[in-house]
Amino acid sequence: MRNIVTPGELIAPAPVMVKNAYIEGGKTYSKVLGMYDGAGRGIIPLEGAWCPTPEDTVVGMISEVKNKVYVADLSYFGRSLIVPGKYDEYNFSEGDIIAAKIKDVESRRTVILKEAELLEGGTLIRVKPKKVLRIIGKKDTMISQIAALTKTQIVVGMNGIIWLRGGNLALATEAIFRVEREAHTSGLTETIKLFLETKSV
Amino acid sequence: MGGPSVNKPELVINGKRVDGREFNELRKIKITASPLVNASGSAYIEWGNNKILAGVYGPREVNPRHLADSTKAVLKCRYSMATFSSLSEHGRSGPNRRATEISKVIKEVFENVIMLNEYPDSQIDLFIEVLQADGGTRTAGITAAAVALATSGIPMRDLVYAVSVGRIGERLAIDFNMIEDNYSDSDMPIAIAPRNGEVLLLQMDGEMTKAQVSEAMDMAIGAGKTISAIQREALREAYALMPGNTDKQ
Amino acid sequence: MDAMDTVKTNHIRGLISKGIREDGRALMDFRKIKLASGFMQNAEGSAQVELGETKVLAGIKLDVEEPMEDTPDRGNLMVSAELLPIASGSFETGPPSPASVEFARVVDRGIRAGNCVDLPSLLIEEEKCWTVFIDLYVLNYDGNLFDAGALAAMAALTSTRVPKYEDGAAIRTGASTQLKIGNIVTSSTFSKIKSRTVLDANGDESAASDCRMTITTDEEKVRAMQKGLSGGFFKGEVEELVDTAFIKNKELRDILKRKAE
Repeated sequence: MRNIVTPGELIAPAPVMVKNAYIEGGKTYSKVLGMYDGAGRGIIPLEGAWCPTPEDTVVGMISEVKNKVYVADLSYFGRSLIVPGKYDEYNFSEGDIIAAKIKDVESRRTVILKEAELLEGGTLIRVKPKKVLRIIGKKDTMISQIAALTKTQIVVGMNGIIWLRGGNLALATEAIFRVEREAHTSGLTETIKLFLETKSV
Repeated sequence: MGGPSVNKPELVINGKRVDGREFNELRKIKITASPLVNASGSAYIEWGNNKILAGVYGPREVNPRHLADSTKAVLKCRYSMATFSSLSEHGRSGPNRRATEISKVIKEVFENVIMLNEYPDSQIDLFIEVLQADGGTRTAGITAAAVALATSGIPMRDLVYAVSVGRIGERLAIDFNMIEDNYSDSDMPIAIAPRNGEVLLLQMDGEMTKAQVSEAMDMAIGAGKTISAIQREALREAYALMPGNTDKQ
Repeated sequence: MDAMDTVKTNHIRGLISKGIREDGRALMDFRKIKLASGFMQNAEGSAQVELGETKVLAGIKLDVEEPMEDTPDRGNLMVSAELLPIASGSFETGPPSPASVEFARVVDRGIRAGNCVDLPSLLIEEEKCWTVFIDLYVLNYDGNLFDAGALAAMAALTSTRVPKYEDGAAIRTGASTQLKIGNIVTSSTFSKIKSRTVLDANGDESAASDCRMTITTDEEKVRAMQKGLSGGFFKGEVEELVDTAFIKNKELRDILKRKAE
């Protein structure tokens, strides 16, 4: 059973390591407005700018190439770098669109990426990072449905940048922006399915 | 304080205050979390006849760059009153000295509770816009700002509330409205971090004995229980109905 | 950050060239409009308009002042605007920007040219009159401040009270009279994106626009016009937009009428 907790609220009467909580005077308190299931796994913030986490998939654009180190613009307040390892053979140019995974978060301002891949052609759109999970849907249901019904290839970055290629791009982007706008409504997956089915004939 | 000395209205009528309240009675408070979509966080409060909007942007790039701190975020705060907010004349736009001072003391409240060290080299902006004023705008503004900051996801060690306590004759009264503000004998706005009771804003003018100051602080802490509950309820309400909140993932 | 904005702008321009809008609207449709008025009791008049996600609050105050030298027989009107920093990450604190000044002046022009406020009725006695201050506060920006602001100002004006005048001062509590309104004007703002024109551009569409035209009308006459941004319109296009503005005027007047009920 999940519980909504607020900043300063007591999570545990003892010091426990819980993500997004802090310890003071031998007790643990929440730092954020979030959901906590009491199992000690962590408080999930209900709001907040995207918090880069290792293994997150991101989509961005190469903005600078310097001595084999690539700076990627993820539209995120902070820098992200692709530093090729011994076996990486990257050959990106400025302006290339890439998908990558987060390897390390050095500080909130500097993020290191790995497994970068070139995304050719296609188009990029930007959504609010906090809506990304809704756009992906539980077990990818929402985004898979959109991709299938519009016959597009889609890569969703947790940083709020989405790449699309092929198929009915206009319809796919309209559907994604609609999910972003109506994220808080229930039955959205069905609504979008109906919308796409009627429009894609 | 310092209203005209002639035509001073009666502040106590048949044992009750001008608006019919008891001495330890708060005005009606209603808070709405996240009314705005562009701001990182926002809250709207109606406290008595006060109508105040609080908004947060950030963390974002520091502007101007040279003010950046490599160890923590820089917090900026702007308290401002709309030109149509008062019952009297059309106000002047642009900050006046009163607003500048209030902006500063409010900033100092939140510099304490926000975990600024988690966002080095960045800036957090807090805006408090008073759309309608009826006494106690800085305390209502702080109460709303705390909720706005919570909705922005910026980590804080506590949800601060604020309220004013004043003296009318020999008695202390909680939560002055504008008339009481103008004609009473003393007024004390106070902001408290409820978790450990730390006082983060305290201003006072007029005349109070030491015992009255203590009693006033106790009254504020007492009222704080109600105010805190309203803040937390506003946050819970705004998010309880979001899909996915009942998911088991 | 700029790179991503360019991508979004190009995407919008691509869609519009095919006659499609991001939110599925028709090219000449307004977004959903919500209107509420009279809820700020301290102000003599107030109204809030939500045009999609654009939220503008109009607050009206009346003060006793002296008539202007060149119009000694009537009251004054003053429209100002604040692009509150709370409304958008790109609005800054500080003195009014050219955009906010243009916004205020365009709304002002429509109301003044339309003779919406009966200024002669605001003369109190020799050298004393009421000045109507209309202040437009932008609470959230998502494009098209002009139409949201104009609608909020008009809605606020139609329910504004004039305080009582006594011994050189305004008595704001107690009895009051209704501000005399001479006319209703509404505005329609069109944005040209490549070769197509849309009504009521949202924030993204505004950023992708080459040219903008605000046309303020009453039922019969054009009262004010303002072309904005650096692109251009052809004569035929302007004429078409004037026609559309009159059609939209009816729609907006109906909304104003409904709120009065």
